[in-house]
Amino acid sequence: MRYLIIIVGAVLVNNFVLNRFLGCCPFLGVSKKTETALGMSGAVVFVMTVASAVTWCLDHWLLDPRGLGYIHTLAFILVIASLVQFIDIAMKRFVPPLHAALGIFLPLITTNCAVLGVAELNCKNGTPFLESVLFSFAAALGFGFALVIFSGLREKLAWADPPRCFRGIAVALVTAGLLSLAFMGFNGLVKLPY
Amino acid sequence: MTAIITAILVIAGIGALAALALAIADKYLAVQEDPRIGLATAALPGANCGGCGFAGCADYARALVAGTAAPGACAPGGDAVNAELAKILGVAATATEKRVALVKCCGTRSEAIRVGDYNGICDCSAAAATAGGDKGCRFGCLGYGACANVCPKHAISITDGLAVVDKRLCIGCGKCVSVCPRKLIELVPASATIHVLCNNPVRGPEVTKVCGVGCIGCHLCEKSSGGKEANHFTFNGFLAKVNYENPPTDATLADKCPRKCIREDAHFETGI
Amino acid sequence: MKTVQSAFKFHGGVHPQYNKDLAASKPIEAMPLPKQLVVSMSQHLGAPAKCLVKKGDAVVKGQLIGERNGFISVPVHAPVAGTVAAVEQRMGPAGGWADAVILDVSEDQSAAPAFLPPLDWKSATREDLLARVNDSGICGMGGAGFPSAVKLNPPPDKHCEYLILNGAECEPYLTSDYRTMLERADRIRAGVEIMRKILNGPAVRIAVEANKPDAIKALEKAFADIEGNVEIVVLPVLYPQGSEKHQIYATVKRIVPEGALPIAVGCVVENVGTVAAIADAVEKGIPLTERVTTVSGDGVVEPKNVLAPIGTRYADLVAFCGGEKDGVRKVISGGPMMGFNVPHLEIATTKTTSGLLFFTSAKVFQYTSNACINCGRCVRACPMQLNPAFICSAVESNDIAAAQKMDVMDCIECGACSFGCPAYRDITQNCRRAKASIRAAAAAAKAKAAAAAAK
Repeated sequence: MRYLIIIVGAVLVNNFVLNRFLGCCPFLGVSKKTETALGMSGAVVFVMTVASAVTWCLDHWLLDPRGLGYIHTLAFILVIASLVQFIDIAMKRFVPPLHAALGIFLPLITTNCAVLGVAELNCKNGTPFLESVLFSFAAALGFGFALVIFSGLREKLAWADPPRCFRGIAVALVTAGLLSLAFMGFNGLVKLPY
Repeated sequence: MTAIITAILVIAGIGALAALALAIADKYLAVQEDPRIGLATAALPGANCGGCGFAGCADYARALVAGTAAPGACAPGGDAVNAELAKILGVAATATEKRVALVKCCGTRSEAIRVGDYNGICDCSAAAATAGGDKGCRFGCLGYGACANVCPKHAISITDGLAVVDKRLCIGCGKCVSVCPRKLIELVPASATIHVLCNNPVRGPEVTKVCGVGCIGCHLCEKSSGGKEANHFTFNGFLAKVNYENPPTDATLADKCPRKCIREDAHFETGI
Repeated sequence: MKTVQSAFKFHGGVHPQYNKDLAASKPIEAMPLPKQLVVSMSQHLGAPAKCLVKKGDAVVKGQLIGERNGFISVPVHAPVAGTVAAVEQRMGPAGGWADAVILDVSEDQSAAPAFLPPLDWKSATREDLLARVNDSGICGMGGAGFPSAVKLNPPPDKHCEYLILNGAECEPYLTSDYRTMLERADRIRAGVEIMRKILNGPAVRIAVEANKPDAIKALEKAFADIEGNVEIVVLPVLYPQGSEKHQIYATVKRIVPEGALPIAVGCVVENVGTVAAIADAVEKGIPLTERVTTVSGDGVVEPKNVLAPIGTRYADLVAFCGGEKDGVRKVISGGPMMGFNVPHLEIATTKTTSGLLFFTSAKVFQYTSNACINCGRCVRACPMQLNPAFICSAVESNDIAAAQKMDVMDCIECGACSFGCPAYRDITQNCRRAKASIRAAAAAAKAKAAAAAAK
């Protein structure tokens, strides 16, 4: 039950993009087409889950025992960036089809604030390993969920004929705001553990 | 003090480890890709116009390196880019002449009659599907801007019910050629200055019924440009066509045409 | 033989004002021969016929003047005796240009017509009957003009279980099929028996809309003593009930797959007028050279159902009906929902011209399109269950690929979406535009591939 609450909380109630406003750049950047949004979501789910596992280990085994909690942001950036690069290279070599699908998005999310944010949150809340990974996975799912919804809206938005000053990114931001308001409606759905 | 040193050491250690891992990965796991692909992509203009027949510049670059395409197909880039590409690939450059789109019609609203009121959607293929289009001439420009809508460089404008190409902006990608339901746009060498702006091959009396400036195939242009031997014009039915292998240069030809459908370049560059 | 009510209603549809009373009570009237006919070589779906005559040739009634040119094509016959004045390109009702024989009609029509010998369908073989349908230039007379001989000769792996006669005539104003059913029910019966033989005895369903009770009665009388599985199916009044796919659903509840012909679900659908023409072609040897055309609308003096030779210019047709009145603003060839707007009256009738409508400015609706208000009325009206609103928006912003993804190619262009649109949007026209663009792109790709292969 606790795990389910974590998932619902991260996907709907505290959606990373629409409620915590993390990862806004890919949210606006790769949401023009649903196909690319799906690819991006896949890449984010992958990277966030792996990154949170690695950063948890780093935090609990290396930094915390030495009282170095204050530099974890710095350490996380370093580790996540090189990790994504490493995954990129390895994926290209060993699973080319997956690389063809997700490859172009991987460099985009090397030091994405959502990835870093989930690591920071795990640290702050001091959650156990399994819950951290699950939380990251659910947060990434929530990110993908919002991204895919938003890309669907933007595909339709491209056919609209708004006033000149609203065209392009302006009306997209207005739509993102409305979507965020809509997600506020999930507030109070579950009692969040953290 | 120790805290700072520990922190520096830890971060430096993580950095060094990561760098080492990446270096090893790059050395042993990297997939070799032809560096010329990157060079060729960089050399291309990046307009992604598709004029070369490939899906964008990067795709063309890949085809170039793979040997399935030859340099010289990039119209927007022109000779400079093609020479650069040839250098990267190590082959001799083939010169391409810059080509621009030409709308072979000069029947403006005042010259060409319209047989009905068309009040449907503003698109040529839709108009052509409605009783064959409202223009009396079934070969002429409908003027609903299908070509102007697809032009990546906004080089086509609709002036007085007629599409007009701005030669300075046109990159010769040929997108307009394929969308025109009347098939009257052609890519011609940019250096040619005299054009026959008509696309109607039917007999003279039928042309004059529907248009004040339609070609009737009187061959006067051929005669005044040195006869058949000079080979400046070809004829398709009752329609004269400039032979772009050997285009005429005599500007007075425009005045000699009794139907005023031969125009000098200046006219179609700045609008008729 | 029994009469049943249709139990299956297709999705969507609209109820336009039918206005059939203008011409419904007018018996079919043969018109005196005009001075000149314009007989097009492209009166059907598929490749145009190959013209066999040249300027100055004398032809007699029923003489073959255009030869079948390909598998999906039908021959063309001279409707009357006369002299060929010219063979030139002329515009057809749909706006396409094709070769046409300009025929000066002779004053003396006494020359023996070149009809084929009559056949007794009971003793003739299936192949003979099929060849006769083929040689008589018969194509679907409802609108699309699909060659009947192709329909009646399904590929060997397909079996026709149902022969469906289309007497729905769901287009407003048109009454030519209604009059044919009323006055020529016996010919329709003869045609049904011939077609049944050609198709190896399928069950027969005669689909008629409920707003034609006299036609149903006339058919019941004519078919009273017919043997075998024959039913008259009374369809609810709903546009587009006459669309082939929807009629199949409404009569036998089968769904024709995307892009397939009705034979894929074991059905052959034929217009009632075509069935009567088949009977004439077999029993009397008369090729398809004349048809009933409804001339109606508020801009014509006397609306009529005219039996006119094929190739009669619209100007002659309206002159026979007393001429135009009250300032005609729009002329439509075919029905008002799916017909073609014609720019002038020099255009001539073809084998598929079921109606010619004249409208004054009182009936012609002038409008400007507004923004879509997302009311979904078009979605509810679409008989193909598409999303016309989204398709229209996509096409308007030149996103043809998105329209294709939304299955715009399944659109039957019935006009139900535009009919009810409160924002007066040109939905059907945008769908047609998208279809035209997709077809043009496909043709261009094919030509490119062919050129590459030739290289």
